[in-house]
Amino acid sequence: MDKAVIVDMNHLTKMFGGLCAVNDFSGHVKENQIIGIIGPNGAGKTTILNMVSGICPPTSGEIIFKGKNLCGMEPHKVNQMGIARTFQNIRLFEDMTVLDTVMTAYSWRAPYNPIETLFSSPRVARFDREIKEKSMHWINRVGLTEQAHAVAKSLPYGMQRRVEIARALASEPLVLLLDEPGAGLNQTEVQGLVDLIQDLFSDLHLSIMLIDHRMEVIMQLCEWIYVQDFGKKIGQGTPEQVQKDPLVIKAYLGEDISNA
Amino acid sequence: MSFILTISLSIAAYSIAVLGTFMLTGMNGLFSLGQAAFMGLGAYVSAIMVVNYNLPFALAVLIAILVAMGLAVLVGFATLRIRQDFFALATFGFGQAVTGLMTEMVNVTGGAMGFSNIPRLTTPTLAFTSLAVAIFFVWGFRKSHFGKDSLAIRSNELAAKVEGIDVFKHKLTVFVLSAAFAAYAGVLMAFHTRYVEPAMYGWIASVTWIIIVFFGGRDSLTGTVLGSIILLAAPEALRFTTAWRTLIYCVLILVIINLRPRGLFGTWELSLRPILNLFKPKKHQEVQ
Repeated sequence: MDKAVIVDMNHLTKMFGGLCAVNDFSGHVKENQIIGIIGPNGAGKTTILNMVSGICPPTSGEIIFKGKNLCGMEPHKVNQMGIARTFQNIRLFEDMTVLDTVMTAYSWRAPYNPIETLFSSPRVARFDREIKEKSMHWINRVGLTEQAHAVAKSLPYGMQRRVEIARALASEPLVLLLDEPGAGLNQTEVQGLVDLIQDLFSDLHLSIMLIDHRMEVIMQLCEWIYVQDFGKKIGQGTPEQVQKDPLVIKAYLGEDISNA
Repeated sequence: MSFILTISLSIAAYSIAVLGTFMLTGMNGLFSLGQAAFMGLGAYVSAIMVVNYNLPFALAVLIAILVAMGLAVLVGFATLRIRQDFFALATFGFGQAVTGLMTEMVNVTGGAMGFSNIPRLTTPTLAFTSLAVAIFFVWGFRKSHFGKDSLAIRSNELAAKVEGIDVFKHKLTVFVLSAAFAAYAGVLMAFHTRYVEPAMYGWIASVTWIIIVFFGGRDSLTGTVLGSIILLAAPEALRFTTAWRTLIYCVLILVIINLRPRGLFGTWELSLRPILNLFKPKKHQEVQ
């Protein structure tokens, strides 16, 4: 039952000027595995995802995916290799319907050059039809069938989050990076989201890297957890191990928890 | 040629350049203050080819457009990675440099005196067909994934990047296409007015096109075309107001921009669908 490593992060360090956001982080995601990164605010969780998705290249270290080092690769290249992500502060497009938003994830696969679009070649229309169908599939998958033609930004927050997930899935990734998917959601919405992620995970054979500081999200979903604090990794293990780790409890709840 | 026809030809030619600005500034939010320089380039290159080297018109047009596109690739490479406000500045500098060169290279361009004796080869048929084709081109481009990508990049560049869109390549494509439109407009104008001079291609022309796009509606192709016709015709139509002309022109623009911040036509598009639907049998149609 040993799974192969799909993303291997070795000694990742990110400095912002004199500030060390992430200090020597090593870890990996295996095929069809959900890992979590937890830690208080400012622990460097998002920075790790930003490094993997190519948004901010690490100061040192390497990220190996499909035998290639992702460091220094531009975000669109990383996506094209098979890593998609969502954002903590939802990033949707102004005035665009849910369907159009999800369709843009297929743009880079367009088989024609810009000149053909000027002449409205049949290939352009055919591609459009194909990706409309595929995008509808992902929209149905996250449960937004009714909202497909609504403007994405006009939807309630929880649904916007699902639009982002559908858009990420439309990249047809091997690895999905979810940056605090539960942020800003209420208890029911969070449970719905956890169920959705669980479903997608088992149906699509995804590998997922998940950040959240809601313990219940992480504990329900993750097979393996890395704990970050002030840019440093202070522990790792299965949910049960992490929950018992004194260093983790200290970071999360403060000192002297045993006396409380 | 009657006065009305002469003016209509100019409007058609300039509208093609405005369509280029629509793609660049309207769809993609890139403010180029050097757009008119590409128009000048198209005008000068084609005119010199035909007058001095006796090249056939069609070949001269092709060369003019290719030169403009080639230059746009170079300028785009240098400027499209920088922030968008700097892009406006950089293209401003580029545009002024090009008109500067046109003025200084007296033995090639005729300098500030302009370049004349260009044959009148822009026929009404050519001008109006060209405009129709240009509209068709932009319509097709906008309907393809490039249209959605433009809006995506304009509203959230980072999100567009992480879903696999090569933002730099996209912007370069749009910039080069818009330069081709401007250059072709320049060719049509040169062979219509039969005279070109550097002063016609400064930043004021570029800014005028941007104003037209926002006036008509940056999110509406119909709006851009109609806005273009209205604003390009306005100076002529307002001639009876003599000294008040410029003032009235400006007030007209300010009123529209204030009352309709998204432009005269907002996101509205002229569509043949309602007309086509009239001819369809009245049965319950499946919603796509």
